[in-house]
Amino acid sequence: MITFENLQAEWNNQPEFNIPEEGTKAITKKVSFLKRKQQITNIVLSITAIILIGFFFYVAAYRVNAAMYGLFLMIGSLAIRIGVEVLSVRKLRHLDMVLNTSVFKEKLVAYYKRRIKIHYILTPLAIIAYCIGFMQLLPVFKENLSSGFYTYIVVSSIVLLLILGLFIAKQIKNELSLLQELKTE
Amino acid sequence: MENLQILFDEVYTANYPKVTRLCMGYVNGDTAKAEDLAQEVFIKVWEKIGSFRKESSISTWIYRITVNTCLLQLRNTKIKTSANDKVLNNITEEAEENKLAYEVQLKSMYACINKLSKENKGIILLELEGVPQKDIAEITGYSHESVRVRVHRIKNELTKCVKQ
Repeated sequence: MITFENLQAEWNNQPEFNIPEEGTKAITKKVSFLKRKQQITNIVLSITAIILIGFFFYVAAYRVNAAMYGLFLMIGSLAIRIGVEVLSVRKLRHLDMVLNTSVFKEKLVAYYKRRIKIHYILTPLAIIAYCIGFMQLLPVFKENLSSGFYTYIVVSSIVLLLILGLFIAKQIKNELSLLQELKTE
Repeated sequence: MENLQILFDEVYTANYPKVTRLCMGYVNGDTAKAEDLAQEVFIKVWEKIGSFRKESSISTWIYRITVNTCLLQLRNTKIKTSANDKVLNNITEEAEENKLAYEVQLKSMYACINKLSKENKGIILLELEGVPQKDIAEITGYSHESVRVRVHRIKNELTKCVKQ
């Protein structure tokens, strides 16, 4: 006959965990490493943004045509989506872990609801803008590239779009199931 | 800074085993994953220790961080609930072969804990760790009465599941 007291006794009888030697040093080291990594990411993103903005101004001053708009759309939609993702990850990292579990869970649920909105609204818009931009570039490719290479670009971009679509669908499914799990009492 | 380091060393030494054991309950008894989670917990503790205001006891404060970290990290260390029955059967078969009744039951217990909702999981793990229900209420944000009722219900649920 199993009772909860048996389970409690077994739980208590589990072997003790050994405290890692120099465990605290490893932790402070990892914190410094994460901070450095964050700083490097910030620097890389800032430089990329500056280069992109500079590039836009440089190109806009010389040639404004459909192909350039296409390029702007492609780079712009990608840049916006990446920026939103970076902010989203940062927001999750800065959730206050000291809150009581109920409040923390509410914040986590709100976070995932926002993520779902991003997936359902912003991501499709970004993909559509990217595709429109790409299609505006196609005549330029056709004019300047061999027909074989042109076909390769068209086919590979469709395949990439499909793979990206599958990846996004998987991510949405995963986050929806996390949200569902968090909502379960 | 030096004082903080000393305080952190003390907190780490005093709480590492129980934090890791609590994390074990969130990862179906997987020691390596539990140790990774424990490290995540102490990273948060180190980042926040300077702002600890002694409004609650340090262990209650650490348990809050532990439960929240485990809740957050589950998106990376997700264990599919639907696969639990299979896991439980496999574990049971393996362990029975070794005639280790204790291990069978402990692993069954982990698999059954893994079937609980995230909230109930946290509550029963804190109860198993011997945390007073008043403190569990403070950690989870529920009323003392609500925790008492929930603990009673989860205990029955868990015992019934392990018996199967």
